[in-house]
Amino acid sequence: MIQDYVMQTGINILLAWSVYIILLSGSLSFANGGFMAIGAYVSAVLTVKFGIPLILAAALAGAAAFLFGIVVAYPALRTRGLYLILVTVGITASIKVMIESIDYVGGIQGFTGMSGASPWHVVTLVLVVGAALWLISHSRLQRMLDAVREDELVAASLGINVVHLKVACFGAGAFIAAVAGSFYAHYLLFVRPEDFGILPSVFIVLYVVLGGMNNLWGPPVGATIMTLVPEFTRGLAQWRPTVFGILIVLLLLVRPDGLLPFRVPTERRLRNRPNNP
Amino acid sequence: MSALLEIRALHKQFRGLTALDDVSFDVAQGELLGLIGPNGAGKSVLINVVSGVYAASAGTVWLRGTDVTSLPTYQLARRGIARTYQNIRLFARMSVLENVLVADQRYSARPFRTLFAGGRREDCAAAEVLLERVGLAAKRDALAGTLAYGEARRLEIARALAGRPRLLFLDEPAAGMNELESEELAAVIRSFRAELDVIVLIEHDVALIRELSDRLVVMDSGKVIAVGKPAEVLADPRVIEAYLGAEEADG
Repeated sequence: MIQDYVMQTGINILLAWSVYIILLSGSLSFANGGFMAIGAYVSAVLTVKFGIPLILAAALAGAAAFLFGIVVAYPALRTRGLYLILVTVGITASIKVMIESIDYVGGIQGFTGMSGASPWHVVTLVLVVGAALWLISHSRLQRMLDAVREDELVAASLGINVVHLKVACFGAGAFIAAVAGSFYAHYLLFVRPEDFGILPSVFIVLYVVLGGMNNLWGPPVGATIMTLVPEFTRGLAQWRPTVFGILIVLLLLVRPDGLLPFRVPTERRLRNRPNNP
Repeated sequence: MSALLEIRALHKQFRGLTALDDVSFDVAQGELLGLIGPNGAGKSVLINVVSGVYAASAGTVWLRGTDVTSLPTYQLARRGIARTYQNIRLFARMSVLENVLVADQRYSARPFRTLFAGGRREDCAAAEVLLERVGLAAKRDALAGTLAYGEARRLEIARALAGRPRLLFLDEPAAGMNELESEELAAVIRSFRAELDVIVLIEHDVALIRELSDRLVVMDSGKVIAVGKPAEVLADPRVIEAYLGAEEADG
């Protein structure tokens, strides 16, 4: 039981961060369910059909999603706002349909034979990704990303290569979602295309919105709450989704910027150092 | 002597509207060029084309003998072109100091290297000197979105200068300022002159532009209608007509 909770929570935290990384450069992505599918299927094929060890397979699946993410990012990131959201929804939808039509991976029936993922894999990965994000949040890169998120045009006129940063974020988000997807597939032992439709993508974005999108702590908080609260409210039986939905709406009415809305306070840190060396 | 910045037969078309129509002029090393003209004359469009915000429909911009017309915005910035905006565009959610720090091109050219270097112990000295010079040292930790109008304008100038540019385009920096504020602004602009190769100043305040400019370029309806010394240009009947309208110039 505990293992299941750790596994689910950890994977959802990684997925929330994968959306957060893309959001750092100002793009809201509903494509991460699709990237997760790429990770799950690529790694599953590698371990089941080619006997490659799980860790290596997960890394290769991440690399595949990274490349895919970068290739689609160039055209996709020409659009902004609502249009970009629609494009990312389209990416998820087309990945799902694509997998459904490939008999090699079982098509609509799904794919099985994977095993071997343990909570330790996921916990380690959460720590690694968290450390990387912490490093970013305390670097000048974070400030450049903030600039891109606030005003792309001005950021460019200050010498920041906006396209480069946005594409890199998209690729990094795809990578993390895919590695999380790899562990997900090797823990559930069985995956179907419908596990990775639009709905999971929407849920991942909800984790981030609920937790707060301005700092690296918000997404894991949102993911943890949204993973565990439904688990511990089984007594509500069939009313569970309804009550849960109402709770989210109420929460966002009270805290529209999420549970942890603060921005990473680089300026506060500087204030404590009046005479910088 | 060849000019530092040469603008040749520049055209900019927005669907049916011709915003720039065969605009050509030079800006020499060390010059402060005033760019004036009635609203809608194409002054801001010209700055937007030269700084890469808009693509030119035709024509060429030469910077030190290199064709830079089709370079992307960030590369123009790295070649030393900096600018401010007519409608102030600060990063409102960043502090005053951060607005200046983010413009430091030693880092923006290699964003991923900053992960391991210069993170917690940043070199803020240069940024603080800049803030001091535009009179915003006391506001360094305030959020840029909370600044008063004149302060925001000066912060935009400091941010533009933080990338150590060689050319600075100021788009109506004194707009909406009172007389005292514009005098302070003139002092700020004058204090930075020696550090820049070229300043191009768009301004409606004739007193300010007469006082600061070495030369004026006057635009009207997308065309350059006069170029020369401020005193001569401002006395030119065509310039007076463009500004005041035909009837008043006749009467």
